[in-house]
Amino acid sequence: MPRDHEPSLNEKQFVTQALQENLRLDGRELDQYRPLELRFGDQHGVAEVTLGKTKVLARATAELTVPYPDRPLDGIFTISTELSPMASPSFEVNRPTETEILLSRLLEKTVRRSGALDTESLCLVAGKQCWSVRVDVHVLSHDGNLTDAACVAVVAALRHFRRPDTSIAQGVLTVYTPAEREPVPLSWLHSPFCVTWSFFGEEGTTALLDATWLEEQVRVGSCTFSMNQHGEICQIAKLGGVPVDAVALLQCASVSLTRVKEISDLVDRRLAEDLKRRDKGGFMAELRAENDR
Amino acid sequence: MTASSAPEVAFGVLPRADGSARYSHAGYTVLASVNGPIEAQRRDEHAYEAHVDVIVRPAAGVGGTRERHLEAILQSSLSQLILIKNFPRCLIQIVLQVENSPENDYVNTKLVQASLNFALMPALIQTAILTLLSAGVPMRATATVTAIAISHDKTIIDPSPRDVETARSVHVLAFTSQDDLLLAESEGDFTVKEWDDVYETAKKICCRPAPDGAAMQLDDDESSAAVGPDLRQFLRSMMESKVAADLHWK
Repeated sequence: MPRDHEPSLNEKQFVTQALQENLRLDGRELDQYRPLELRFGDQHGVAEVTLGKTKVLARATAELTVPYPDRPLDGIFTISTELSPMASPSFEVNRPTETEILLSRLLEKTVRRSGALDTESLCLVAGKQCWSVRVDVHVLSHDGNLTDAACVAVVAALRHFRRPDTSIAQGVLTVYTPAEREPVPLSWLHSPFCVTWSFFGEEGTTALLDATWLEEQVRVGSCTFSMNQHGEICQIAKLGGVPVDAVALLQCASVSLTRVKEISDLVDRRLAEDLKRRDKGGFMAELRAENDR
Repeated sequence: MTASSAPEVAFGVLPRADGSARYSHAGYTVLASVNGPIEAQRRDEHAYEAHVDVIVRPAAGVGGTRERHLEAILQSSLSQLILIKNFPRCLIQIVLQVENSPENDYVNTKLVQASLNFALMPALIQTAILTLLSAGVPMRATATVTAIAISHDKTIIDPSPRDVETARSVHVLAFTSQDDLLLAESEGDFTVKEWDDVYETAKKICCRPAPDGAAMQLDDDESSAAVGPDLRQFLRSMMESKVAADLHWK
């Protein structure tokens, strides 16, 4: 596959010099996101996130499997990310690049390890049967800041997703088809979101949010904060790059919280709108078979 | 959710690809990007023609043998349409991402084992054609595709997953804009007579003459009600509006 062309020396210099004067090529403020849009599909568990020219599609699915022998009481939850040549011709099929590995690790750490999804509730019969929930992240268009966009897509897809309802009577497990019983949502505990900072300048003095692909190629370091809207930090990833002052990082963390709150509000709003759209005639409450927590 | 049967297309959805289109028809939504002609890898390089690389990605799960099978079918039919001799040692890369496929409400499908079937093929080919047009890749002709299922001696056009499940045989036929048969794939049990009928029906759907005056009235009477949307006309009108929008600055 052809290699992606790198920005020329002039281009790099232009971007860095402009940033020293607190100017971005697209005229945004340093801590301003590109317009974030979230769209749900006709089916449950399909979410498409558009962040400027970056587009990510996430799709959640569930199926019945046998739990892992060492964790008989837990369901299985996996996130799979694959960058296809659709995002850029330089990505090859079945050959993960560094970007892809870093992206899937970050998503794992943010969503799975922070316990956003209650995996114990996915277990149906201890050691015998459980749900395996899988989220496929498809990067449709790559224009920087994949992590933040993918994280929003994964969280939104999982919160939008409905799995088939089940019941156990006298040790016999019944899985109901959508025609028999309205599918039920997953038990979701909190919504973590990623906020990625990019650092510029020789000592990483300029920090900016939501870098475009060009800015990502020029930056000297980056740092991803994952937190929920209550300000609980799930993880901080600062992988290489120039060292950044601790006070500056603290500052970044507090700005991240306001951004996370904004993203969280947007996701809540879109989910509520979608629920309203599906609830034709107001029968959804009656169709629901699950109990309130 | 009821599947809308009218075809819909949006061009240029992906800003970084050479051409892209999102097509939805009969409940299937496919997003595709085309990059090309680009530099081919040494192992894909042909000295006299371009290599057409088709990648089909299911909505959930990783692609398996079925996707490879679909890719092989698509690759051979699209190579017939694209003027590959014009671009020796090049690569034309088509990535088809399935976004939505209609679900069968009566069965809990195994989704992790991605299930792709024949009913998806028309959407894939039609999206590929539209995307190639959007990317401006020179082609010999365009094509229109349809899927037909036969169950209980009844012919179903654009079958739903439930129809496919109960059908005795499923056929996918594609015709070029010169009314030539491009692709014929069938699965299940059927007789030669049935296949002939399917061929006639498919030809009627795919090769409808352009509506002008007298033909239009005839259309209203019998065919349009019986045999679904006019795909060729759809392709044409969509391209016309795209070209008009692209040449807006003139």
